[in-house]
Amino acid sequence: MSARPTTPASPRNFKVKAPQAGQPMYGCEHLQRLFNQDQVTTNTSIQHYRAILRSIYDTNPLVPQTAKAGEGVVVTTLTPTYLCLQCPSTLTEEERTRHGGKKSHRFYVDSRSGALYCQMCDDIVWDPTFEEMRLKKIGTGTFSNRKRKHEEMFETSDPVRDNPTYLSSNTTAASCKSNGLRGIYNAGATCYQNVVLQGFIHNPILRNFYLSDGHPSGSCQVPYCLSCAMDDMFQDFYALETTNGYTAASILSGFWFSDRKAFENLVATKEQDAHEFFQFLAEELHERNGDGKKPETASEHMCQCIIHQTFYGKLESATTCQNCGGVTRQIQSFLDLSLPLENLGHKKGKKGSQQRTSLTLQECLDEEYIKQDKCEYRCTNCSSTQQARRQTSIKLLPNVLSIQLKRFEYKQGRNERAAKIDTPVHFPLELNMLPYTNRGAATRAQDGNTNGNTTNGTNGINGVNGSGASKPENFELARTCTYDLLSVVVHVGEIDTGHYVTYCRVGDQWFAFNDHRVELAQKSDVLNAKPYLLFYVVRSLS
Amino acid sequence: MSSEIGETGKAGIVVASEDAAPAEKLAHSLVDDLLYNVVHDLLLKVHRDEKIARANTAAIKVEKLAKSTNADPKPDVEIETDAAIYKDGRVTLKSNPLKSTKEILCSKCHLPRLLHPTDGKGAKKPDPGVIYCKKHPYIDKQGYDIYGQTWVAPGPGRGKKKKDQKLDPNDPSSPATGLEGSAKDRPANVLSYPSATCPKCKRCILVTRLNNHMGSCIGNSGRNASRAAAQKISNGSNAGSQNNDNTPPGSQKGTPRPSSRAPSPRKRDGDEFDEDAEDSDTTSNHNAAVKKKKFKPSNNKLTKVILKAKSPAIAGNTKKEAKAKGSSSLNVEQKASNDSKTNGNHNAKDTSTVEVAPKKQAPKSGNAGGGNNASPAKKIKLGSSKPPLSSSAAGGKKGGIKRDRDVESESSGTVPSPPPR
Repeated sequence: MSARPTTPASPRNFKVKAPQAGQPMYGCEHLQRLFNQDQVTTNTSIQHYRAILRSIYDTNPLVPQTAKAGEGVVVTTLTPTYLCLQCPSTLTEEERTRHGGKKSHRFYVDSRSGALYCQMCDDIVWDPTFEEMRLKKIGTGTFSNRKRKHEEMFETSDPVRDNPTYLSSNTTAASCKSNGLRGIYNAGATCYQNVVLQGFIHNPILRNFYLSDGHPSGSCQVPYCLSCAMDDMFQDFYALETTNGYTAASILSGFWFSDRKAFENLVATKEQDAHEFFQFLAEELHERNGDGKKPETASEHMCQCIIHQTFYGKLESATTCQNCGGVTRQIQSFLDLSLPLENLGHKKGKKGSQQRTSLTLQECLDEEYIKQDKCEYRCTNCSSTQQARRQTSIKLLPNVLSIQLKRFEYKQGRNERAAKIDTPVHFPLELNMLPYTNRGAATRAQDGNTNGNTTNGTNGINGVNGSGASKPENFELARTCTYDLLSVVVHVGEIDTGHYVTYCRVGDQWFAFNDHRVELAQKSDVLNAKPYLLFYVVRSLS
Repeated sequence: MSSEIGETGKAGIVVASEDAAPAEKLAHSLVDDLLYNVVHDLLLKVHRDEKIARANTAAIKVEKLAKSTNADPKPDVEIETDAAIYKDGRVTLKSNPLKSTKEILCSKCHLPRLLHPTDGKGAKKPDPGVIYCKKHPYIDKQGYDIYGQTWVAPGPGRGKKKKDQKLDPNDPSSPATGLEGSAKDRPANVLSYPSATCPKCKRCILVTRLNNHMGSCIGNSGRNASRAAAQKISNGSNAGSQNNDNTPPGSQKGTPRPSSRAPSPRKRDGDEFDEDAEDSDTTSNHNAAVKKKKFKPSNNKLTKVILKAKSPAIAGNTKKEAKAKGSSSLNVEQKASNDSKTNGNHNAKDTSTVEVAPKKQAPKSGNAGGGNNASPAKKIKLGSSKPPLSSSAAGGKKGGIKRDRDVESESSGTVPSPPPR
């Protein structure tokens, strides 16, 4: 939406994407003819295509879904409509043929995906020029070149990427076979490490960092450096043709050698908590790559290291004194969101009079980041301890959102013991975090004032919450808050003994990792698992 | 939102009955529309991948042709195939690539992609005459992984039932593993557990034991470390009493494995290595002993070997033996496999090779001097600085139990083992 060429008189000339080896220049012969007519046609075609994409992705879906179905009849449909590239009509599939015959307009854009349909081919056409725009729109919301394309976020980023010769002469191409899909051998009750490591391996941001030599392991002087070990691991996963398991000896030894006191109890040969290991690994890698400052959990400390850029976000908690109405705001950074299950499960169980019900991830998030809770705090205005309401929301969303579901609870009482909560929690492949941010809260308040409707927190995938939603900024906002599921860590077994497995997504395919075993997984397998840790990656990296 | 007319939506699959209430009809048509969208989106995704791949294939083909027909790649060549035209250095499509192009070339290596998995669901036999791109479709088959590899099912309790010592020679993660694992006698796609080198003591540990090993070898910082140090010192002073001190502090603390819990030092040490022994035929205990022996690096002369010294040393074989032992990082698994392979030959070789083992021992015993009495366990303790000790200890254990057998088996085992790299 930036740098939008609004006037037709704009002197800017659009260019067709430069030819690339191994790729045809145009999507089909007919598009070739269109682009080769003259510059004016090219300009208008591209401008129209952009406008259409904007109306598809940045406006209320009612707009592109409403089409002419014939003489004077206008329908709004759930199914795709077709937006003519050469005039401002929106047509149903039947009407599209007639329109083509009458006006000789041959190109239409599918309203659900932005894909281009060529009537002469009678097929969807994937033209390099148009496709690049479409992916940029989906990925970043703009057509600007500064930002990375949706697809390229899965390639290593390099500032001199523009120069193909530089790249080809300075890189060693990995074999077509090496794809990062390998198991990791269990070195004796280390499955809790394996699942976290697999999550890191398939994290596109960390992968790009390590594969682009983000950690100079060649010159690193730290003995038993865990980051060097990670570097080695990424190399082994993505550069070698090996298909058997990986022996994470260097990680393990780095782990054993680590003197991190907070996780001393992790250093044992017993089964451990994967979440604790995740925290350990994150902090250790932060220390190796970051500003060297020890991360303090309750501070707002942000550094530029890869771990902070990847995993860390900020929470804001606003405490409102019930006596004087004063608001105290506190901001702290977080590595992951920990969601309690027990209270919610009980509450729900009572309500529905069922013993074991299932929860949704959104319900858990609602509980923590939308609802307010009461607490006592010492108000500086009243200079006394007062009842207060506290509301926590997310101020800054991380690029990779890690969520821990607190399945392991320590029960207090006569027989104190730790117990595992087995409640199934349903989680989406696509998660909209907007309602849990402070901007989402603000939007909610706004909507509440105008509509008297505040219940809309959980259902929006595209974040269409009431009245404010028709503005393009809101779609932009919703887009930056949309997350795709990346990996799921599952704990099977009891509290004191069990096994961890993980599901990770590579492209669109899911894989199940069970130590050194790697198998294909269906989405249904993934979604039916009982998650313990969830990793979501933001859809548009900007 | 839908104003579809009629009882159903666009897909026409979810149909309400004629006499349904209007709300019911609407619901049906909504569900039907949604179904249509789901299929539409799925189809579009597959269509995109497939069509782009085919279009690029057409481009790659015509570019290749252009280069091959003209030695110097002048841009003014004009080449035409069924699917594309190469002109002025640009490739344009001629018709729908979904129709004109049947195969898919990898955009990286320009070899044809294998389009069906070789095993499991949807498998087709690949054309043996074609060299395919190395990126294969993933295999979906119960009990096999995405590469069609399978695993040795772990037996009850610890350890593996079957021998699974096949090493992947390409495995970079375990540099210690021998490259020439003899895998001819078992299917190639059975995965096994490799070994890795402990960065501290440089010993070669089977991966399944790695965590336990590091726990005892590297261990915790602080209190435990000092305790361990104290223990070591005390061990060193009174060499004779090894039994109680044997368990390293780490394993004392919380190792779940029975092996580490074992009270006798010997046993513990043995465990570290006998994983492979277990793996190989359980019947041949002596084989296991043999393997352990191999581990001994030539430098650890004080080890249990002495026990074996009883058998007469034969000079002729010494050289060989030394060679085999030269590298401390010999791969456990490899040897195991060798052993298993050679089992058949066992007897025949025995006669010739038996001598080897004793021979080696002779020199060792000399070095060890009074060391004969020392139990293997003790040595291990000392050995944190000396990596190879454990192996010797293991051997010692076996030797202590059944020496005679050991000698025999040892010889058989050692001969076939490939020289260390």
